[in-house]
This record gives sequence, structure tokens and C-alpha cells, in this order.
Amino acid sequence: MMRPEVAENVYLPRVAVLDRVVDEIQDVKTFYWHFEDPADREAFKSFRPGQFVQVTLFGAGEMPLSLPPSPTEGETFFTVRRVGSCTEALHGLRPGDKFGVRGPYGNGFPMGSFHGKNLVFVAGGIGLIPLRSCIVYALAHREKYRRIQIFLGARTPRDLMYRDKLLEWERSAGVECYLTVDRAEEGWAGNVGVVGSLFKKPGVEVPVEDTVAFVCGPPVMFRFVIRDLAGMGFSEESIISTLERYMKCGVGKCGHCCIGVAYVCVDGPVFSYRQIRKLGEDI
Amino acid sequence: MSMRARIIHRDDVLKIVDLLRRDREVIAAFLGRGRDSAFGVVTDENRDRVQIHVPNPHYPPKRYVFPHIERIMKLRGGNGEVRIEPTYDAPRRAIFGIRSCDVAGIWHLDRFFLGREFRDIYYQRHREALFLVNVVCTDPGCDIDEHCFCVCADTGPAARDHFDLQLMDLGGDEFMAVAGTPAGEAFLDEPIFRRGTAEHVERRRRILGEVRKHFKEMTTSWFSATVRYVSQGKILDKTWEEIGVRCLECGGCTYVCPACTCFTVRDRQVGPNEWERVRLWDACALGGFTRMAGGHNPRRAVHDRRNRRFFRKLAHYFIQRELTMACVGCGRCNAVCHGDIGMPSVVEMIRRATAPEDKMEPVEGTPAGSK
Ligand SMILES: Cc1cc2nc3c(=O)[nH]c(=O)nc-3n(C[C@H](O)[C@H](O)[C@H](O)COP(=O)(O)OP(=O)(O)OC[C@H]3O[C@@H](n4cnc5c(N)ncnc54)[C@H](O)[C@@H]3O)c2cc1C
Ligand code: SF4
Ligand code: FES
Repeated sequence: MMRPEVAENVYLPRVAVLDRVVDEIQDVKTFYWHFEDPADREAFKSFRPGQFVQVTLFGAGEMPLSLPPSPTEGETFFTVRRVGSCTEALHGLRPGDKFGVRGPYGNGFPMGSFHGKNLVFVAGGIGLIPLRSCIVYALAHREKYRRIQIFLGARTPRDLMYRDKLLEWERSAGVECYLTVDRAEEGWAGNVGVVGSLFKKPGVEVPVEDTVAFVCGPPVMFRFVIRDLAGMGFSEESIISTLERYMKCGVGKCGHCCIGVAYVCVDGPVFSYRQIRKLGEDI
Repeated sequence: MSMRARIIHRDDVLKIVDLLRRDREVIAAFLGRGRDSAFGVVTDENRDRVQIHVPNPHYPPKRYVFPHIERIMKLRGGNGEVRIEPTYDAPRRAIFGIRSCDVAGIWHLDRFFLGREFRDIYYQRHREALFLVNVVCTDPGCDIDEHCFCVCADTGPAARDHFDLQLMDLGGDEFMAVAGTPAGEAFLDEPIFRRGTAEHVERRRRILGEVRKHFKEMTTSWFSATVRYVSQGKILDKTWEEIGVRCLECGGCTYVCPACTCFTVRDRQVGPNEWERVRLWDACALGGFTRMAGGHNPRRAVHDRRNRRFFRKLAHYFIQRELTMACVGCGRCNAVCHGDIGMPSVVEMIRRATAPEDKMEPVEGTPAGSK
């Protein structure tokens, strides 16, 4: 149940406090935070994997950010790449500094409807950020899902996201992780090539029957991966992704995220590839 | 005659303005130079210049529920001390003489901002403080121009609902007043109103029949066909391209549209560690509207094929979603568009290009097919 003062004004951010900052890859950091008001913390617990929030940085403005944590975890955090004024301002914060958060918004991944299926996660670069939430969620309900595979591609080994986490999942939770880079560097003994090249590697066997493929990454990567998956026999409904659109309100009013017949902020950001095609616009 | 209708003498009509001004700011359209007109606040000085029949201003009355620029909150940050405070500014207001198309525009905004899962509190506060006195367009010389197509959009010339009070010139010295809400009904108790007769009702019907003839014969039956073409993806690429080429991306159409809703949000500094968050009208016709991180603009390529604004307004999906259409037939975009791709022109372009391809439509000899 939403509290009346929050429900009344959907544009009103709530005060959040930064706890600590962890370096991920170049220009990307993870920011752990909590709501100042315990009531906000409580209300926020029910977010779903794949949802997002609107984050206010004083003096810089407001921006949408995914929620990489799973609701099954105790902590809330963002993983953010520095690209412009808002992200820059967030990167400049120190523990104890305050900012604003409102949400969660969006449909999220329908994790319940994937029970009994294999889950294949395919990510390019920071595309792993929104997928992290479902991966952790699936691992917290491991018995509900069959095989879980993660394919991650990045430009260089130094650009591989959440590497320690991947290792941990692989060791502890029966997850198969496959990594690849565009350009190898000193000490890299793994695969070199686009993420789709991993599907055909000896020893890799991607289940197609009863499988959902989650694909997130830059538009070029998305197009190639879709082609690969389709070639392997994945149907358009069995491929899902999140769309990233310029967003100003997050609640279906400003019109900025509207593509085809969907408002990405309320109808998405999670769509099946079939829906994306019907929207009739580029990814 | 219905309980909710009364007759008022021509000399008394402006007394409605006076009554409203007791406890509200009253907005009316004033004539400027030539045919130009603009909404403004009624004062003691200009009260006598309030007219019943006046060309509908291009700058729509939408701003009284959805201001062009509106501060929505104050933000204070820095030194560990932060405050986020919503700000509301919704004075009690009435619009005197709002046209039927614009009443429908406000009803569309109601559906959009107050319907669905999230309610817009800023819009709601303006709306709840607003009293609408609709005037039916009956004067062909003044009220109706060559761009008006409320008859096609099914919003006029007489609004059926969503006003508080409706006035219609019955000729001679008489106006009919109809109440649309309890607030409007309470108004009819004022002594300036008297009961009407069956003859008044008959006269109203006859005048409306006459008025309808003054609308330019054009896209009447093609609006619904166009909705179907757009919704079923029947529009040829070359038609979208032609529309795209003619669009100068000035944003003028969205600026004058009583049913456009897009906005952007900005924070501006107002003091040390103090900002105010404002929202302002934005336009999907403008190039930067969908721009994203890294300069990747997803709309660019497709935009040339499918005009965002017309698709948004004409796709059946959205009409179903809001239960009203995002075009109310006011014709303003046609009046201001330099590329002649206002809504009526676009409906016509789409019809001409698509109908021959569409086996369901007769092409020749249809009433709207003249021209
Ligand atoms: C649903 C959603 C979830 C997202 N999740 C994450 C995440 O978890 N981590 C992350 O690093 N980034 C994420 N993004 C992208 C992030 O919102 C943008 O990088 C951020 O808004 C840029 O703001 P800025 O002020 O730093 O950049 P600006 O100075 O505004 O501009 C820098 C660049 O970013 C673009 N941009 C500005 N605002 C937006 C916006 N609202 N949406 C998209 N692009 C924008 C500009 O066009 C420009 O190219 C997400 C975006 C969406 C829509
Ligand atoms: S689209 Fe044009 S004609 Fe329709 S309501 Fe808007 S301005 Fe008026
Ligand atoms: S972000 Fe405003 S409508 Fe989707």
C-alpha cells in the first residue's frame, strides 16, 4: 500500500543517502544507498527485477537508472556509467551525501512465468546491469529454473562487468558463464570475438527448447545476437530485452519514451522481441 | 424543457462574468488587431470588451490546466541538509467562452493526466479549480473559420458534455444556458436566468442544423478511415515521407494544440544550493525529443517514414487507451503550419494516397471526395 503523501505526487523524489561506492570498470561505479525515511525503505522492498527508478542529483537534474539488485538482496544500489551531467554528479558524491529517488517504475521481467524454463542471459558491456537483478533473483529461486547460462561480451577484459560476481555465481550456484572480448590483452586466455561467437564454441550447448533468452546491450550487438538466436531456433516470444529510451517522467506523462504504440516507462522497459518488432521502431 | 436549461437575456450574459469574478479569476478571449485574439484575465477595465462571438485564439486555453512553464518543486541540497518540497499554484479560475473543441481538449487532457495508473497532481489541482463556460459556435463570420473541423472530430459545434455551463446564442435577445455539472446547475438559480419553452429548444435545434452547413466540406467521413489506415499500418512509406519532408520541425503545431501533452523537465538554480524544478511544454516534432546517451537517436531513421505526432494522434491503440482522440478538430495546427501539414491536410493526404490501395473504400463519387 502506498502512503498517501507519496501516492499523491508521483513526481516527488524521496531523500536517499549514499553508503559506499565500488569501482567496477572504467567510468562505471556501483553506488550503494538507502532511503533516509524507513517508511520509504519498507515501501521500496517490493520492486521487481527489471524495474527502474528516477534519480535526482541536486543541481544536475533527474535521470532514469535500472535497479541491478534483486529484491531478494538486502541492499539497494545502482551501477552507473559516467556519460554526462547527472551521471557525473552521481560519480562525484561521497558516502553520506544525499540525493533523491522515486519509483520503482516499469513492468519488470515476469520471472514467475519463466518457472521450469532454462534461462539464457546474453549481455554486451553494461547491458549486464539490468540483467543482474533477474540473475540474482533466479539464483535465489534456483529450484524454479532449469539451466542458467550467462554470455557476456565486452570490448576488452577490463570492460567485463561484475566479474567477481560472475565467478561467484559460477562456483556456487550452477550457472554456466561464458565470456568474450573484442580485443584480448595481457593475461587473457579466454575467447576473442563477438558475444554470438560463444554460442558455437566447442563445449557450449545452448538449450533452445523451453528456454527464455534475455538480451541486453548496445543496438549493434542486439541485432547480431537476435539473428544468431533466431538461427538457433529461438522464437520471437522467447527472446526478451529492455529498451532504453530518453525519459523525463517515468510515469507515462511526458511522452519522451513513447515509441510505436508503447510508453517504454510504463508498458516496458521489458519487452519480448516480438513486441519490439511490432512497435516498428529501431531498438 | 430540461431542468438543467434556462434562458438568459443578451444584456445579462456578461453578468455571468461578474458573478464568476466574485470568487475566481475569469479568463476570456479578447480581440486584438485584425482577427487575432488572445485569452486574458478579465479586469474592471476590459470587462466591457468581453465578447461572445470572437475568433478562437491560436494559443489554446490548455495553459490554464497545463501551464506552458510550471514550477513543480523546490530542491535544496548541499552541506548534508536537503529538502524536496512540492509547489502548487492553482488559483480558482473560470474560462468564459471556451469553444466546444477546447472543452473536448480539456476532457482529453483529463483522460490523459488523470486516467491510467499514475495521476498527475499538478494537472488535477488546476482542473479542480477550473469552471468552464462553453459558448457554442453559431456565428459563421466570427466563430468558425476555414480550418475548423469539429464536425468531423465529433466535438462541436455544441459540446455535449464536460462543461460547467454552456451558452448558445438563439438570435434576437436570447441565449440558452445549459448546466453540465452540479456547479453549473447551482449557477442557474441566479435571478438572471428564466425558464424556457419548447420553442427555445426547437430554435436551438434549427440553429445548430444551420451552423453545421458553414463548416468547410472536407475530411468529414475520412477521419475514421484515416484512423483505420494508420492503425492497420496501411499508410504507404511515401506518404509518411511526404509528410516528413514538409515538416519544418518548428513545433508550432504542438504549441497551439489543445490536446498535445508532451513536456520536459528542467532544474534551474535560484540561489546557492537551491533549485527549482520546472516542467515545460515539449514537442515530439523537435529533433532532440528522443535523443539518447551516446548520440544514438533511435527515432531519426524511422521518423522520416512515420510522423510521430500524427501516429500518436491517429493510432487506434491510443484512442482506445485514453478513450478520447488526441485531436479535437480545432484546426489550429492547419492555421499555423508553414508546410501545410496540419491535421485536416494530413487526413486528406493520407486519404488520397491510401484509399486507392484500400479495397474496402470506394474511391470515386464519395461525398467527401470532392475537391
Ligand atoms: C530505463 C533506463 C534505465 C537505465 N539504467 C541505467 C543504468 O543502470 N546505468 C547507467 O549507467 N545508465 C542507465 N541508463 C542511462 C542513463 O539514464 C543515462 O546515461 C543518463 O540519463 C544520462 O544523463 P546525464 O545527465 O549524465 O547525461 P546528459 O548530460 O544529459 O547527456 C549525456 C548523454 O546522455 C543522454 N541522455 C540524457 N538523458 C537521458 C535519459 N534520460 N535517458 C537516456 N539517455 C539520456 C544524452 O542524450 C546525451 O547523449 C538508463 C536509462 C533508462 C531509460
Ligand atoms: S491536432 Fe491540430 S486540429 Fe487537432 S486538436 Fe491539435 S491543433 Fe487542433
Ligand atoms: S518517461 Fe515520460 S512518458 Fe515515459
